[in-house]
Amino acid sequence: MIAQVRAELLKVRSTRTTVGLLLGMVALILLFVLLTGLLSSVESLSTVEDQRQLLGIGALAGVFSALAGVLLVTSEYRYGTIRPTILFTPRRGRVLAAKVVAATLAGIVFGAVGEALGWALGYAILSGRGITFALNGGDTVQLVLGALAGIALWGAMGAGLATTLRNQVGGVITLLAWGFVVSPLLFGLVPSVGRFMPSYAQDSVIGLTTQHLLTPAAGGVVLVGWAVLLAAAGLAVTAQRDVP
Amino acid sequence: MAAAVVAESLTKRFGEVLAVDDLSFSLEPGTITGFLGPNGAGKTTTLRMLLGLAAPSQGRALVFGQTYAELERPSLRIGAVLEATDFHPGRSGRDHLRMLGQAVGVPDSRADEVLALVELQEAGRRRVKGYSLGMRQRLGLATALLGEPDLLVLDEPANGLDPEGVRWLRDFLRAFASDGRTVLVSSHVLAEVAQTVDQVLIISRGRLVAESSLEALTARLGGAVRVRSADPTRLAAALAHEHFNSTPNNEHGLIVSGTTSERVGEIAFAAGVAVHELVTEGSSLEEIFLELTAGEQS
Repeated sequence: MIAQVRAELLKVRSTRTTVGLLLGMVALILLFVLLTGLLSSVESLSTVEDQRQLLGIGALAGVFSALAGVLLVTSEYRYGTIRPTILFTPRRGRVLAAKVVAATLAGIVFGAVGEALGWALGYAILSGRGITFALNGGDTVQLVLGALAGIALWGAMGAGLATTLRNQVGGVITLLAWGFVVSPLLFGLVPSVGRFMPSYAQDSVIGLTTQHLLTPAAGGVVLVGWAVLLAAAGLAVTAQRDVP
Repeated sequence: MAAAVVAESLTKRFGEVLAVDDLSFSLEPGTITGFLGPNGAGKTTTLRMLLGLAAPSQGRALVFGQTYAELERPSLRIGAVLEATDFHPGRSGRDHLRMLGQAVGVPDSRADEVLALVELQEAGRRRVKGYSLGMRQRLGLATALLGEPDLLVLDEPANGLDPEGVRWLRDFLRAFASDGRTVLVSSHVLAEVAQTVDQVLIISRGRLVAESSLEALTARLGGAVRVRSADPTRLAAALAHEHFNSTPNNEHGLIVSGTTSERVGEIAFAAGVAVHELVTEGSSLEEIFLELTAGEQS
């Protein structure tokens, strides 16, 4: 199993896809932190919640972590490398598990880079504008570690979702639509259901106090639940269907 | 010795379509078997079931006595290539081999060995994007060889190879099988494999229509060899000595039935008769198919 995870990590490292995603993530986080930090008034950056929003922008890394997870799986189907992969490891559950683990580990890297960047830049902007730092130590730890765990789990969710769907374009579109269209709509219309969507569960984990969100602990359980559910769906599909 | 590959009533149905229909055969170790049939005959589907990528609708396929998926680390015993294009274009050939090898504990040094074996050591660190089809075929073969297998299963390995590449592949497969290892190679062109294989399995519309040695097949079809030589009389006598009938054809020609051009050439050489022309007639796969399917219906 460790050997299989090493092989999957080599797949992540040996193409330019991952570096491309990392660069895209860095650019997007830079842009959002700069826009939010420089265009907001001093008043709207002074409460704990305001500063959580600014310093939590690094959690956007979750999108890229999930995309990396999706691509780790769907590029195998797109380019046919799934055939040699399964020929070398016919136990499909083992391949899936290794991909989920590798995507989670890759997610930790995405999270570490994204969080470090978002946090450092946000903090620099706050102090540069002379705004008093409002978060205490506990808030800070929760914001950073919560985001890191969430971002890592997004990688696992991406890999599980992609194993269920197989198709690369379909996987990417499903992921983005789910995260940026379906979940916000659901949260807006039926918050009691929408708060169980992974993006809102992650908001609760990092300590955001938007109305209707779950408690941080419940949010964490929900995120892990999504990762397990999607991996289980992937396993069910993969055991049933022939390798293309 | 136990058979390397056994197919037992192997059947695959896709909805209404019967892609593989009650196929049974077995391959002895140390043989090269050509798996022949026109495109769409069910060759690839059969190989996919053999390799555990597709589940049979009925029947089963055993490799070294077990189904492929039951084998522990099957890639250390069976090397297989199904598509010549199964690579990520942005990954180097060497990394492709390393990532597969690492999953089964094959060291990276073995990746370099097989790259050298298929003469890709120069290109190994370049992205597959820039490889020619022939190079991709050879990288596929390198993938199959990573685990030092005893059985090679290759789907249309000669596609896209130039004549030099085809000869290289032929020599390679011969050397591979010469020390007791087994090869199953599919093709839709008999001529491509005729000089390589010991026996052929021919399928048409998912059914096995012939299973025989190459010589038996040629004899059964009455395949003929046309030869033009300096001394047809002496050649005819030499052929008769080897129990081959020949009939005169034009001034210096003979038509020899039930043999191969290789055999006629060898006999002529042994008899010291100069050969000016040597042509195998009526051995195209299409003609063989017509013969075989016509034979089935009558």
